[in-house]
Amino acid sequence: MNFTGMILLVDDEPHIRKFVSLILKQLGHPIIVEAGNGEEAIAVYQRDDPDLVLMDVSMPRMDGIETLKALKALDPDCAVIMLTSLANRETIEQALEAGALNYIRKDTPKDEIAKALEETIGAAFDLS
Amino acid sequence: MRPPSNPTQAPFQFQGRRILVVDDDRLNLRILSGILRPEGYVTGEASSGERALELIPEFKPNLVLLDVMMPGIDGFETCRRIKATHGEKSPPVIFITAKSESDDVVEGLGAGGVDYLPKPFKPKEVLARIRSHLYNQILSEQQKSLVEQLSKANAAKNRFLGMAAHDLRNPLASIRGLSEFLRDGAVGPLTADQLDLIQTIHAASQSMLEMLNELLDVAAIEAGELKLHLEPTNLGDLAARCVAMVNIEAGKKRTRVEFAKPDPAVVLPADSAKMKQVIDNLLSNAVKYSPPGSTIRAFVQSGPGAGQCCFFVRDQGPGIPEGERDKLFKDFGRLSIRPTGGEKSTGLGLAICRNIVEAHHGTIAAVNLPEGGCEFRVTLPSPA
Repeated sequence: MNFTGMILLVDDEPHIRKFVSLILKQLGHPIIVEAGNGEEAIAVYQRDDPDLVLMDVSMPRMDGIETLKALKALDPDCAVIMLTSLANRETIEQALEAGALNYIRKDTPKDEIAKALEETIGAAFDLS
Repeated sequence: MRPPSNPTQAPFQFQGRRILVVDDDRLNLRILSGILRPEGYVTGEASSGERALELIPEFKPNLVLLDVMMPGIDGFETCRRIKATHGEKSPPVIFITAKSESDDVVEGLGAGGVDYLPKPFKPKEVLARIRSHLYNQILSEQQKSLVEQLSKANAAKNRFLGMAAHDLRNPLASIRGLSEFLRDGAVGPLTADQLDLIQTIHAASQSMLEMLNELLDVAAIEAGELKLHLEPTNLGDLAARCVAMVNIEAGKKRTRVEFAKPDPAVVLPADSAKMKQVIDNLLSNAVKYSPPGSTIRAFVQSGPGAGQCCFFVRDQGPGIPEGERDKLFKDFGRLSIRPTGGEKSTGLGLAICRNIVEAHHGTIAAVNLPEGGCEFRVTLPSPA
C-alpha cells in the first residue's frame, strides 16, 4: 500500500493513540497528528488539513459522531474512519449515515486492527 | 421495610384507612359507620351504586363495603364498573348480603368482590374481615414497592457494571495490544526471560478482557438490551467455522472436535453473531472440561420435532454432578468440576447462552451420557 498522506488520530485515551499510532507506523504511515477530543480534532483538521481521520466514537463532551458531522460540514470530502470498542449497531449506522468510510474495532488484537486498517485505507484511496 | 403486624392484633396500623360504605338503607349505613369509626377508620357513605362511582375518585377509599340489592344499578354491576374504571388500582370490594342472598355470593365474587358480610352484622366479624383484607392490601402495596426498589437497584447495578466494564476494557485492550508489539520484537529483540514476562502480561490481559466481555453481556442481557438481528443463517456452516477456530486451541491439549456439516443444509432465521457466541461457548466448554487428548463430537441436525433443528456437543468430561444441574445455566453458576487445562471460567458463559437461545425461542439443556461425558443440546425453531 502506498498511501503516504497525513493521518489525524482522535481519541480521548492517550494509550489508545499510542497503540494505534504504533500500528499505523508499522503499516508505513508515519505522518500522524493527534487530538484528544472533538474540539481539538476540528482545530487540528483546519490547521493541518490531514488526508485521513481515525476517530474514536465515544468521547466525553463532543462525541465522535458529533465531531464527524462538524468535520463533514467543514469539508464534505473529508475521509473519516471511526474507531469503536463495543460497537453498538445504532452508533455504527449513525456514523455511516453521517459519512464515515467505515468503522474499525480498536479492542481486537493488533494484527486484526492492522488488517482492517489496511483494507479500509486501501479501499478508500483506491490503492491496491 | 417492616411487614404490618398480624391482623388479629390491635388495629392501630389500619387507623386512617378509608372505607366507603354503600347502602340504600340509611340504618345500615349508620350501623356500619358506628362499628368502623371507633376503630379509627375514616368512613364515607353513598346511598346508591351510581353515587358510589362518583365518590370513589375523590374519596379514594382503601376498601368498599357494597350492598347488593339497591335501586338503580345493583352492587354486582357497581363492582364491575369499579373494576372496569380503576383496574388494578380498584379498592377491594366486600359485599353486604342478607342470608337469603347467600347463593348470589358466587356471582358477587365473580364480579370482582373479595368477600361478603352477611346481614345482620356482627361487629367483631365485620371488623375482622375488614382488617384481614386491609392487611392483604398493605402487604401487596409493600411487596409492589419492594419489587420496584429491587428492580431499580438491579438496574443501577447493571449500569454500574456496564460502565465499569466499558471503562476497563479500553486500557486493557491497549495493554494487550502494546504487549503484542513487545512480543513481536517490533521495538527491539527480547531475551527469553523478557519474552516470557511479556507473554504472561499478554495472557493475563487477554483473559481479563474475556471476563469483562462476559460481564458486559450479562449486564446488557439483564438490562433488556439483547437485541437480535435475524437473518437466514446456515447453522452447519456457522458451526464448521466455530469448530475450525476452537480446534486451534484444542490442539494445545491434543483434543479434537469432530464435526460434519449436515446434508441437506440446515438454515434458520438467527442472529448469526449471537448464535456463534453460543456455539463457541459450548465447544470451548467441551474442550475445557474434557481430559487432554479427548475427541469431542459436534452435530447439527433437523428435528427432533417438525420445524425444529438442533446443535449439540458431546464431550468426554466428568458430566454434570447430580444436584448441580439447576446451577448450570444461571449467572455465576460455577460447578464443582474444574477445567482440565487450567483454563478460566467466570460462570457466566452458559447463562449468556441460555439468554441468547431463549431470545431465539429455543431451549438449551444438558444431559449426562450413559457412556460417560455430557451432551449439551440447543434446540431452535426452524420454520420450513
